[in-house]
Amino acid sequence: MQELWEGLVQAVKLVVSLDPEVIEISVRSLYVSAAAILIAAAICIPVGGLINFHDFRGKRVLINVIQTFYSLPTVVVGLFVFLFISRAGPLGGMGLLFTPGAIILGQVILIMPILTGMTISALSGVDRSIRDTALGAGASQSQAIWTIIKEARFAVVGAVILGFGRAISEVGAAMMLGGNIRGFTRVLTTAISLYTQEGELVLSLALGIILIGIATVINVVVNILLQRY
Amino acid sequence: MAFLKLVNLEQRAGDKFLLRNINLEIEKSELFVIIGPTGSGKTTLLRLIDLLDHPSSGNIYIDGLNATALKGDPIDMRRKMAIVFQKPVVFNGTVFENIAYPLKMRGLKTKEIKPRVHSLLDTIGLSGYGRRKARTLSGGEAQRVALARAVIADPELLLLDEPTANLDPHSVKLIEEMVKAFNKSRGVTVVMATHDMQQGQRLASRAGVLMQGELVQVGNPAAIFQSPDSARVAGFVGMQNVYRGRIVASESGIASVQVDESVIDVVSDLEVGKAVDVFVRPEDVVLSLSGTTGSARNKLQGVITAIHITGPLSMVIVDCGLVLEVLVTGKSVEEMGLKMGLEIFCSFKAAAVKVLPVK
Amino acid sequence: MAKIFKQFALPALTILILLSMVAGCTPAGQAAENKSAQTQSFATRFKIATTTSLNDTGLWDYLTPVFEKKFNTALDVVAAGTGAALDYGKRGDVDAVTVHDPAAEAQFISDGYGINKRSFAFNYFIVVGPAADPAGIKGLLPEDAFKKIYAGGVADAAKVKFVSRGDNSGTYAKEKLIWQAAGFNYPDVEKSGKWYIEAGKGMGPSLVMASEQGAYILTDVSTFLAYGSKLNLIPVVESGQIFLNVYDAIAINPAKVTTAKMLPMANNFINWLISDDVQNLIATYGVDKYDKPLFSPMKGGGCKDPGCPKVEDYTVPVN
Repeated sequence: MQELWEGLVQAVKLVVSLDPEVIEISVRSLYVSAAAILIAAAICIPVGGLINFHDFRGKRVLINVIQTFYSLPTVVVGLFVFLFISRAGPLGGMGLLFTPGAIILGQVILIMPILTGMTISALSGVDRSIRDTALGAGASQSQAIWTIIKEARFAVVGAVILGFGRAISEVGAAMMLGGNIRGFTRVLTTAISLYTQEGELVLSLALGIILIGIATVINVVVNILLQRY
Repeated sequence: MAFLKLVNLEQRAGDKFLLRNINLEIEKSELFVIIGPTGSGKTTLLRLIDLLDHPSSGNIYIDGLNATALKGDPIDMRRKMAIVFQKPVVFNGTVFENIAYPLKMRGLKTKEIKPRVHSLLDTIGLSGYGRRKARTLSGGEAQRVALARAVIADPELLLLDEPTANLDPHSVKLIEEMVKAFNKSRGVTVVMATHDMQQGQRLASRAGVLMQGELVQVGNPAAIFQSPDSARVAGFVGMQNVYRGRIVASESGIASVQVDESVIDVVSDLEVGKAVDVFVRPEDVVLSLSGTTGSARNKLQGVITAIHITGPLSMVIVDCGLVLEVLVTGKSVEEMGLKMGLEIFCSFKAAAVKVLPVK
Repeated sequence: MAKIFKQFALPALTILILLSMVAGCTPAGQAAENKSAQTQSFATRFKIATTTSLNDTGLWDYLTPVFEKKFNTALDVVAAGTGAALDYGKRGDVDAVTVHDPAAEAQFISDGYGINKRSFAFNYFIVVGPAADPAGIKGLLPEDAFKKIYAGGVADAAKVKFVSRGDNSGTYAKEKLIWQAAGFNYPDVEKSGKWYIEAGKGMGPSLVMASEQGAYILTDVSTFLAYGSKLNLIPVVESGQIFLNVYDAIAINPAKVTTAKMLPMANNFINWLISDDVQNLIATYGVDKYDKPLFSPMKGGGCKDPGCPKVEDYTVPVN
């Protein structure tokens, strides 16, 4: 328990002194997960819209499958992607393994189910009359879908924040796909894992506190923006 | 050709018919009202006309074009129309954004949108509300915004689905006036659904009665009100005293109809022996404590079985062989000391009785 | 007040996101790059997989900037047990490996995956354990010590414990060799009771675990020294021929692993490791912190035990 207090003190020291390595790791964590959420959102929000507004055979089954993948184990995702992007694998030519790009890829795949499924949830919660009014007011089908997404934006942004949180806190995929290479693919979670195993508990705690701090700040900022718009 | 033409329109849900045999022609700039009880298919019909749904069979012609035959997303046709629903629907965002929405969807620039929105805000009596969050408006205010949103893009056809059904009397009045004004000033063809007979009479030059998915009578609202052409319509337009009987005597234009054990004199040329439906309006029946007043041909004696107070008026149920519903003012109830169990005389003119032969 | 804050929020968020994306170019980012072992701005990147004991001692953190400066190429070091490192090599995910399991390496090379093996450093294994030495093995030979640990653990798992790497590492391979030399059938040892703990972790973390559990553990002396202050363990068995631990660097053979395309750089890497300059660096690594070097360079013939590699194996450059 003494370590908790020491960890807090250490965390403050590291942040205030702008310790270069901690900054480097934190910025990388942010960058990787931000890229992952942006890519995933760009794909999954429209796809979620399409799935929600079209009826087709097996729609129920598809939605169930998506929801099952909400809690994909991160190591499993890491393993699958590893097999694909290893130089011995089908996508080996891209040379992605052990680069930040590999981590981004892994995190995108990890959070796609959440983003898609929760977008569908959010949109189905919007009253049908909104869609009818939008169409009746002269919107095209895609304009109407976008209008409904805006109506559901609190829920959709909630899904985005959740996805970002999952991405920045996962360690399985980052470890397997990035290799925890110092100065290149080390992120907050893999660093915490390493330092804990090495017995550097205070440093781990400090990094953990910083990680939580980052997630909180993002959350608060996004919510403020939401209120404004 | 008429501006809006519905030909043999039919809508099914599984085995059930939601709409059947709908044939209707509405002229440009008409204000046409569709009257019918809840569940009669009014919303279904309006949704079909707005191309939100596709009919099981039949065709809809708008300004000469067969709208039902259009392939793909009929967006150009949809943009000629606008619809306002019963529950006021507003988007997240400001009042300005709501009203501007149709113009934005059509790609207009803010420069062009701004003056149009503001002038409409004045028209609907919500000047200065531009920045308000639309979701904070009252029902009446929101419905005015919905109406403004519907007309801002100058639609040729305005569809209204019971727009005042959930509003307070003041808002109802405002909306009705706006609809009338838009129809007159912009020449918009209006098709409005309502279950309120009086509203139909106030607004429309022509009305159609929709019951159980079928258009049972089309014509001037006042005429429908006075002369419903079937028992069904009669019941809907408020003729609550409907009886079936047989003509047992006829002399110089006055026929006597036997209904159960009572005989009613009516104005009719139908021959003796014919089965008929007779209707009397509750407000055409006069109550008196003694049977001596009045020159009405029909005087029935009975007992009051119930009194229902509905605002300033009261409905008195009298059992005189037939069960008569009589509409009187609250004052009369007081003055005559009407109460349950009281013996009373009901009288009504022969001319007040509507007679329809049973088909 | 709140309004002004809100007005700043969107620009602030945008800046935050942009900042994170150009991290390498900011002053703080530059400082980080100067201090940390690798940088992100090299045109080419050369990947190696290393056994954890080389990594956990910080040797790679120490040597990497030297390599990067000399060859203007980034050195990406992925730490894994010897087995995993060799696997990365087989898949072509790395271009060279630095490991310490002679038997596995021999197989690796005879299967055609690896070429140009050179030995570049050595040290010794030792057995460390709790100061109280509950199994009473201080000063014994490795094989005898293991026998006593086994007996003590089977008798009372709460008193005598042993942490094994339990992964495919060179250390684990050495441990199994010692059990064999002591006359045991290894699978029997593995299943014999709760006293035998398989960590599944790298050398450093396994030491930490042994320290917390009050257990014995086989470790290379360098990692133990590097972790010394964090551990409640002392060396108990320090000599024995079987303890020799030689570190080898092997290049991945493009003829067999067609996706490995950096053989020239791998050769550079290996030659660099056995060059005089780097051998001197290895000879002095850790002296300032631990009063003695953590590793011994192969050059200069310092390795005198029977298991030591032949001279050609550590002096002749590869091509």
